Amino acid sequence: MMAYSFLQHKIMGAIEADDEYWRWLEEGEFRLPRCASCQHWTWPAHFRCGRCGSWEFEWTAIAPEGRIFSWTRSWYAFDRVMERKKDVPYITIVTELPAAGGARVMGVLTGDTSNVRIGMAVRGTIQPPSAKTKFYPSVTWEIVR
Amino acid sequence: MSKFRGAAAVVGIGQTPYYKRGTSPDPELKLALRAITAAAEDAGIDVRDIDGFVSYASERSDPAKLMPALGTRNLRFASLAWFHGGALPATLNLATGAILSGQAEIVAVYRSMAESSSQRLRVVVAQNDTSSQYLVNGLESPAQILALRAQRLMEHDGVPRSALWATVQASYHHARNNPHAYGRNTEMTEEIYENARLISEPYRLFDCSRENDGAACVLVVSAERARDLRQKPAYILSAPMGTMEGGGALEENWRPYYGTAGHKELAARMWAEAGYGPQDVDVAQVYMNMTSMGIGSMIDHGFFTTEEAGDFCRFENLIAPSGKLPINTSGGDLGEGFIHGMGLIPEAVRQIRGTSVNQVPGAKLSLVTGGPGDIVSSTGLLGSEETL
Ligand SMILES: [Zn+2]
Repeated sequence: MMAYSFLQHKIMGAIEADDEYWRWLEEGEFRLPRCASCQHWTWPAHFRCGRCGSWEFEWTAIAPEGRIFSWTRSWYAFDRVMERKKDVPYITIVTELPAAGGARVMGVLTGDTSNVRIGMAVRGTIQPPSAKTKFYPSVTWEIVR
Repeated sequence: MSKFRGAAAVVGIGQTPYYKRGTSPDPELKLALRAITAAAEDAGIDVRDIDGFVSYASERSDPAKLMPALGTRNLRFASLAWFHGGALPATLNLATGAILSGQAEIVAVYRSMAESSSQRLRVVVAQNDTSSQYLVNGLESPAQILALRAQRLMEHDGVPRSALWATVQASYHHARNNPHAYGRNTEMTEEIYENARLISEPYRLFDCSRENDGAACVLVVSAERARDLRQKPAYILSAPMGTMEGGGALEENWRPYYGTAGHKELAARMWAEAGYGPQDVDVAQVYMNMTSMGIGSMIDHGFFTTEEAGDFCRFENLIAPSGKLPINTSGGDLGEGFIHGMGLIPEAVRQIRGTSVNQVPGAKLSLVTGGPGDIVSSTGLLGSEETL
């Protein structure tokens, strides 16, 4: 069994039904959960489908391609994300994924970010765990030119 | 007709000074005692007779710790409303419910914060409440997370930056007349606002509330009892809490509303229960964790649309005594001081009493909104006797 980095650095306190998301990312795949019964994209991940009552989800591979739904450029090294101090200012975006029913995921925008606008097409790259991402895998996004 | 409407009233208010974060001379629990005893004195009620205690968010001055020092005779009701500043007016809901159902007679609604004694404030408040999806991607502060919503509200929905500035300008303008306002001497011009350091785009420094040390309390009793007390009662007409499907812990997946405050259905319930609408409101204390979120809340309450925000949110419209909708007349969360919004309820009450330093003449309907963008929120309408 693979010793997943994120499991050894687990961030506690939220819904915490997204272990599979991180596990697949750490294995190099971008997958989101889809209800096995009604096919609703249940994101953020949860334990039960609120639409049909199913407890089963299919973690479905999709291409990391979407559009910028919103963004912010952080100009300060905030307490609990101090690992990114040297990157300030950095941009985090909310990406809307048409292939996953419009589910939105967060990620850091890399490359040329000077003209960032809502609605721009972006493509994601899976990154291995690092100190900067609290030893979780992540997806960084780049504007598609 | 709702049983809730007008069943209870705020009859006492008490506040400590606002201190710069981490500089309170008193620990948190002592601040809570000061605010509660001041509220009892204001109401002409023996503090020992308070039998209900309601707070919200991560309040640590629990009634078990308070009662020995208050001389509490009989603690009959104690409850904490869930979530952060969103729960502010929901405390009035809980207090009214307790009184209406005979569980308590005199309920203290309070909030106390002091960094020196608890080391809590922003970091600890947020702990165990921020998912890995945010933290892994460099987001942890409400300023950053709400900035995402602000960007959408401004860039996509077209709310102009001038609207944000107008709320800051009105807040500091009101604070200047308030001897208790922490920001009363803060110089504030458009140039200062626009040149302040960036925090998380589109927010600059003065778009963000900053926590103070301090405590505030209001006392709630039945309408019947209120009529015999010394202060002019501020009746609780409606104070719904909640959120609709599409809200909740959805990590930037809120639908259909994103850029506003998630107050739309709440506000609709409040107008329906109170029997009034936005056009009837005389004065509003709008929770401003961040400027744009307060604007989102006003949009959700029906004061204006996103398209109208720029026209409506002008300095002259937002100030007492005669603006279309005077907001944050004590200075509010931005200019008076920020203890997770708890300063807003006493000011909403002073407007009904006619004792605000920035009084709206003859104010009868006084709104106080809960933390916008909180995953579950609340909103409340207070009224004078003639509004019942
Ligand atoms: Zn389903």
